[in-house]
Amino acid sequence: MRKIFILALTFLLIFSFAASAEEIKIGSCIYRFNDAFMLRFRNSMSAESEKLGAKIELADGQDNQAIQNEQIDSYILEGVKVLIVNIVDRMTAQPIIDKAKTAGIPIVFINREPPLEMLNTYDKAYYVGAKAEESGTEEGELIADYFKNNPDADKNHDGKLQFIMLKGQNGHQDMILRSKYSVEAIKNAGIEPVEIASAIANWDKLQAMQIMNGFAMSIGPENIEAVIANNDEMALGAIEALKNSDYNKGDKAFYIPVVGVDANASALDAMDKGEMLGTVLNDADNQGTAAVRLALALANGTDLKSIGYEITDNKYIWIPYQKVTRGENK
Amino acid sequence: MAEIQTSKKKRLFTVCGLIVLLLGIALYFAKAPLGLNRKIYDLPIFLIIIGLGFACKGFMMKPGEGELVLSKKAFGEFLTNNAILLAMLVLVVVICILQPRFMQVRVALDILTQSSTKLIMALGICFTLLIAGTDLSAGRMVGLASVVSASMLQTATYANRFFPDLPQVQLWMPIVIAIVACMIFGALNGFLVAKFDMHPFIATLAVQVIIYGACSLYFDMPPNNSQPIGGIRPDFAQLGQMRLLSGLYRGFPGISILIPIAVVICIVIWFILNKTVFGKNVYAIGGNREAAVVAGINVFRNIMGIFILASCLYGIAGVLEAARTAGATNNYGNGYELDAIAACVVGGVSLSGGIGKVGGIVMGVLIFTIIQYGLQFINVSPMWQQVIKGVIIAVAVAIDLTKYRRK
Repeated sequence: MRKIFILALTFLLIFSFAASAEEIKIGSCIYRFNDAFMLRFRNSMSAESEKLGAKIELADGQDNQAIQNEQIDSYILEGVKVLIVNIVDRMTAQPIIDKAKTAGIPIVFINREPPLEMLNTYDKAYYVGAKAEESGTEEGELIADYFKNNPDADKNHDGKLQFIMLKGQNGHQDMILRSKYSVEAIKNAGIEPVEIASAIANWDKLQAMQIMNGFAMSIGPENIEAVIANNDEMALGAIEALKNSDYNKGDKAFYIPVVGVDANASALDAMDKGEMLGTVLNDADNQGTAAVRLALALANGTDLKSIGYEITDNKYIWIPYQKVTRGENK
Repeated sequence: MAEIQTSKKKRLFTVCGLIVLLLGIALYFAKAPLGLNRKIYDLPIFLIIIGLGFACKGFMMKPGEGELVLSKKAFGEFLTNNAILLAMLVLVVVICILQPRFMQVRVALDILTQSSTKLIMALGICFTLLIAGTDLSAGRMVGLASVVSASMLQTATYANRFFPDLPQVQLWMPIVIAIVACMIFGALNGFLVAKFDMHPFIATLAVQVIIYGACSLYFDMPPNNSQPIGGIRPDFAQLGQMRLLSGLYRGFPGISILIPIAVVICIVIWFILNKTVFGKNVYAIGGNREAAVVAGINVFRNIMGIFILASCLYGIAGVLEAARTAGATNNYGNGYELDAIAACVVGGVSLSGGIGKVGGIVMGVLIFTIIQYGLQFINVSPMWQQVIKGVIIAVAVAIDLTKYRRK
């Protein structure tokens, strides 16, 4: 019985290898599967690969660089034609680029951008993503526009904007740039921003909710003029906490504008209900499509100009962010 | 060496209590005219409650109870035995000075609300600690229950439903399904421990990994594909967010429904532990397993019961967590078991089994939550919070162990 089972398993394995030998295989590593944004990203990659007749394999890095490195090794052994890597820790890209270079496989980084000096060590290393600072800038602009159009948003009428910043995982590139550029954008709009508090909530709704609950108690919602979150999940957590203090329940007199990034389904829902001011769409669909088209063009050696996305500096494809506010998403 | 008789102690308690009470009442009426509203907030109300508590305690003290010996040694013992509690009181005073907003009734209620789910977790895990075991799967069960319940309780109009064609089911059904799912894994825990005599540490570790995997598989099912679950039905969200008596007086935020839920569960667990045969068996198995076997206690059935009951409580905590945040991901509850174990230990539950009281666990959870909440309140860096939390656990266990050595 056992022997038959093992035999069957072996056949299955051989069969699966044989079946996939004909089409081009893309090996793709995602930093963590249960990330809402990366989910849209990988759905878009799967759809585009299917359309172009390639096979894409996806691996869950479980937010652990060591695991991801092993996955890349096994992809190379398996003989994939091109790698698409959503690296866990962008500062450790060098060994991965070296691996791809040694194997002679092109590598496309997505979503998390390795430093340019690392990308420069291999001519077939590329990056597809959005400029993180742009998301921060647009978040800041959303808040600044609201502040200008609603004089009552300046609750203490001091002409300055007292805000709370909810940050993602410490050291994450998006966290650093979004935090910085959202404030810059408010400054550039001619409003003086005052950070009354900030906290790291690790992109997480529950953590953000608990932290914001504390701020609502210690600072008082009547003293908070805006909440800027590095992503939507944290913005939604903050909104739950504000609702706990009877804010953002529809009454304009008890409202704090909250902005996030990602435009995920829950955020759009909250915006329809008037609980959330706005969000910035990180265009996963276009990024996924661009990554797959670029990867296949690299694997086939075809002209990179034909993929429909502009390549800058021979290394990057930049997909712009989009602002999303109430009323646009129904 | 001076001994204080009960009558004297009684008088001491009553008088001190009444003084605090009167001070509270005086401040209550004086704070508005003196312009202290924004300086002391609800401090008078707290003083009144504390004063009342002390006065009642003094008043109800029976003769012969609580003989107090005043000596250096007794004082030292008192200090070490209550070190964590005293540290917490000092911290609370410091926070009140640094950030007077801490002295609000709504802050106290918020702390109680945050303690509620933690208390339910701790009450579940205490059963496994009482038999000198542990349960590492508790946190993941919270995640499982929150994902399962939330997945079936989304509004019909939400764009990204977990089950697009699921009709609006009765509220209790998904909740029961979620809790039963947890209980099945609880039964697996109990089976591994009872049948194979596996150490609970490793048995529940294995089950923890299984639950996380299973929950992630469920969470990753199309069309959801690991999206955070949102669009929670308002009636379900109410289960975690509803506030009772919110119109009691102006500015009263209301009592979160989580508090009475936790109180009811607390009473039920107290009853089970102290008034039922099952409860006595738990203590007996924890105290001396061989003796329990000799005494004819069915260890297999009792251990199964312990893990199933515990997982039922984690399930409830998970459902409430989903309702409270109006959402769920498979990462919910991650690490909760360690917080719950720590709270139990601080509350006097012995890791070597057989010792632990519901009252102690309530204290442990409250102390932990107050310290954590307070540190966050005065904006202490999360990294320092971790350090402090660790020190508390180490000190609590050290005190616990020295107590037994003395005996």
